[in-house]
Amino acid sequence: MITNIGYGSLIITFVLSLYGIVAAIYGERKNLYRFVESARVAMLLTFPMLTLVALSIITLLVTQHYEVQYVYNTTSQSMPIYLKITALWGGQSGSLVFWAWLMSAFASAVSIRKWSRDRDLLPWVIVVSLVTLAFFLSMIIFFENPFQRFWASPGSREIVAMFQPAGTQLLIPNDGRGLNPLLRHPGMVIHPPMLYLGFVSFVIPFAFGIAALITGRKDDRWIRLTRRWTLVAWMFLSIGLILGSRWAYDVLGWGGYWAWDPVENAALMPWLTGTAFLHSVMIQEKRGLFKRWNMILVILTYSLVIFGTFLTRSGVLSSVHAFAQSAIGPMFFIFIGITFIISLALLIKRWGDLKSEGVMHSLLSRESLFLLNNLLFIGILVVVFWGTVFPLISELLTGQKVTVAAPFYQRSTAPLFAGLLLLMGIAPLSAWGHSTWKTLGKAMWKPGLLSLIVLLGMIISGVHSIGALLGFWLASFAFFITIHEFWRGTKARHKRSGENYLTAFFRLAARNRRRYGGYLIHLSVVLMAIGIIGIEGYQTETQAKLKAGESIQLSGYTVTFKSLAEFDTNDGRNVARAVLDVSKNGKNLGQLYPRRDYFYDSQQPMTIPGVRSTIEDDLYIVLVNWEQISSGSATFKVFHNPLINWLWIGGILLIFGSFVAAWPDQERSLQLERKLASQNSSVVPVSSSD
Amino acid sequence: MENETTPKKGLSRTTIIVAFAILLGFLALLGWGLRNAQAGPVQVGQKVPTFDLTTFDGEVVSTSDLQGKVIVVNFWASWCKPCEQEAADLERAWQIYKETDDVYFFGVAYVDIEPKSRAYIEKFNITYPNGPDLRTTISTMFRVRGVPETYIIDRQGKLAAFKIGPYSSLGEIQAMIDPIILQ
Repeated sequence: MITNIGYGSLIITFVLSLYGIVAAIYGERKNLYRFVESARVAMLLTFPMLTLVALSIITLLVTQHYEVQYVYNTTSQSMPIYLKITALWGGQSGSLVFWAWLMSAFASAVSIRKWSRDRDLLPWVIVVSLVTLAFFLSMIIFFENPFQRFWASPGSREIVAMFQPAGTQLLIPNDGRGLNPLLRHPGMVIHPPMLYLGFVSFVIPFAFGIAALITGRKDDRWIRLTRRWTLVAWMFLSIGLILGSRWAYDVLGWGGYWAWDPVENAALMPWLTGTAFLHSVMIQEKRGLFKRWNMILVILTYSLVIFGTFLTRSGVLSSVHAFAQSAIGPMFFIFIGITFIISLALLIKRWGDLKSEGVMHSLLSRESLFLLNNLLFIGILVVVFWGTVFPLISELLTGQKVTVAAPFYQRSTAPLFAGLLLLMGIAPLSAWGHSTWKTLGKAMWKPGLLSLIVLLGMIISGVHSIGALLGFWLASFAFFITIHEFWRGTKARHKRSGENYLTAFFRLAARNRRRYGGYLIHLSVVLMAIGIIGIEGYQTETQAKLKAGESIQLSGYTVTFKSLAEFDTNDGRNVARAVLDVSKNGKNLGQLYPRRDYFYDSQQPMTIPGVRSTIEDDLYIVLVNWEQISSGSATFKVFHNPLINWLWIGGILLIFGSFVAAWPDQERSLQLERKLASQNSSVVPVSSSD
Repeated sequence: MENETTPKKGLSRTTIIVAFAILLGFLALLGWGLRNAQAGPVQVGQKVPTFDLTTFDGEVVSTSDLQGKVIVVNFWASWCKPCEQEAADLERAWQIYKETDDVYFFGVAYVDIEPKSRAYIEKFNITYPNGPDLRTTISTMFRVRGVPETYIIDRQGKLAAFKIGPYSSLGEIQAMIDPIILQ
């Protein structure tokens, strides 16, 4: 019953999207606006329809319909209800439904905005959105149907099919196989939705960009319309990446947070182009430059989203994230090919129309620094892309799949990230159009001096690694400049309005959210950089086999092995749990309990490290191995991760900053602020061309 | 990136051709990778790349040192019930073949916990080299889908036969290996 409702709704949504595509194109060609309007309604309806589909799957999952293959594969009786619900994105077909559902939510949201000013764009926005949606739906319907059930034929062969094959009976297993234990983590519950939200919301800016290309509109309307979409997409993608890192840190038990795995890279790549895009759109808005470049970036971002999804699901590159191989690979490949080719063809066709309206005057102007920022982001993208597809290239040329290891990425991206930190300090101080070293120096010397003091302090306190010193100096430079910016704005507002400093600060930020939200994000990046430099540069580790009562030392910590117990839990796990005393310089700091859980239902082990977190460092202990209770010894791997928590603190600030930046401005206060801004708040004298 | 000053209308033909060539080249690469990924297990007759196995005793054994020999690679895991069914027979087969110096056995523990793997080896008294599949490189090479799976490489280094699922008897193992020795 429920399976039929779900499957029926799926088919109806698919037909709706096909109809929407046809109606939008027909209406546009024949100038019959009512067809476009009808297509818009079709797009609006996809969301409630797919909600029905998602609800059907959730109902099946929660009510333990193990005769449904998807339910059998992703849940078991011992799983708590919230994990049963989130199993919606725990497997290939369910997560495709989830993807499509989120996509339809965005498509619906776009369809209800006011279109009176942009009627010419509407049909093509509909076409691009619905083609993407229809593609995902077709894969679900034809290849990855989550509603397929088990049927037993008289010869006791089991068949998986949507509808009852002749002469068979429904086969209802008692229990399911359960979700992959690695995915039973709170971070994993939110990580995929965030990443998917980030992915699908980039479809919207792309749809507008393509619509602008097709209609030949040369203005920057599409950019203004999608600015907030882009920011929201970027925010979700960022949250997804941060949660994913946190999950890796908590669950994978190798003491790190980022492995440069193909699928991590697949999510990082659109983030890189998306970040570049967020910066370069400002240049088009303010100066009319970079039109082609922005179009390239938005196409690239969308393409990388689709490419990433393809990588995850086709098995082309092996990865911890890969779904089981399935038939959707070739379909995906065709979709990618068509998307890339059409986008490129459109771009080439309109290339001449997208000429910049101005020219760059000064090397130190904001736009030229932004250009540099974009080049650095693209540089990182090239490195990551090359590393990701290298196994394919090496296999093609040599027959061996050679995987590129983390040091390659670290070595090649570190200088580029350092360059970005430096730019993050300088660029906010430069003016549109024209800046000179003199004006920049005037704005920069105070924070610059402070950062040099920090540098000196670090040298005195015994930091000698050039890389770390440079990194920390750049981070403190960007930090002080950003703080200084907040301070200057607040002071100017305080002088002008007479508000006290605190009020002035909040009003300043509230009235100019995009700018100060952006600065908050810059601050968060600085904090994250501190965490990353800390763990990359100063992580130490040791491994030892300990008998009860024996100790191991690392970075001032003493870890003493007390005991180990192995027991079964009533939720289907076998747990091996060690008890360790931790002390530092003779002071007792309590106990840690690293463990290894073995899940009977899915026959998979999971490592849960014992972690002691402070803002200074993490002590991270993994239970590697243990022997029979008779000998009573166990092997531990101990990591000392300095400053790592600044990465997570920065992550939280980044989310907050994105919220601030993406929050809708009220038109009136915006105008007021623009007036004020033009009077007072620009940091360096602004040239006449602004 | 952008040519700001030249008053060109569009792109030159060469640029367009290069852009499309790069795109199509990339797509071809992806398509080729996809075809490989979809190919399923290594095919009989295909050359099997050499690999190193770090055994549970800490030694590294390499198939490149065993050219001209027949190599049996068995993937197993301690959590795998069907593996237990064939474990004793595999060991008996090893006892028979090791005298000949013609056949070498390797056991690869697939996605397993090391202490459990050791316990499994002890339980079945397995004496041929066994080791974990570090970074799952070996199983990826054979495109293993599950355990147990057994692959037999002939003297030329080509895959001669494979068995998905457990062997049911010593006789079945011998029936598979003997003709390959004689080749």
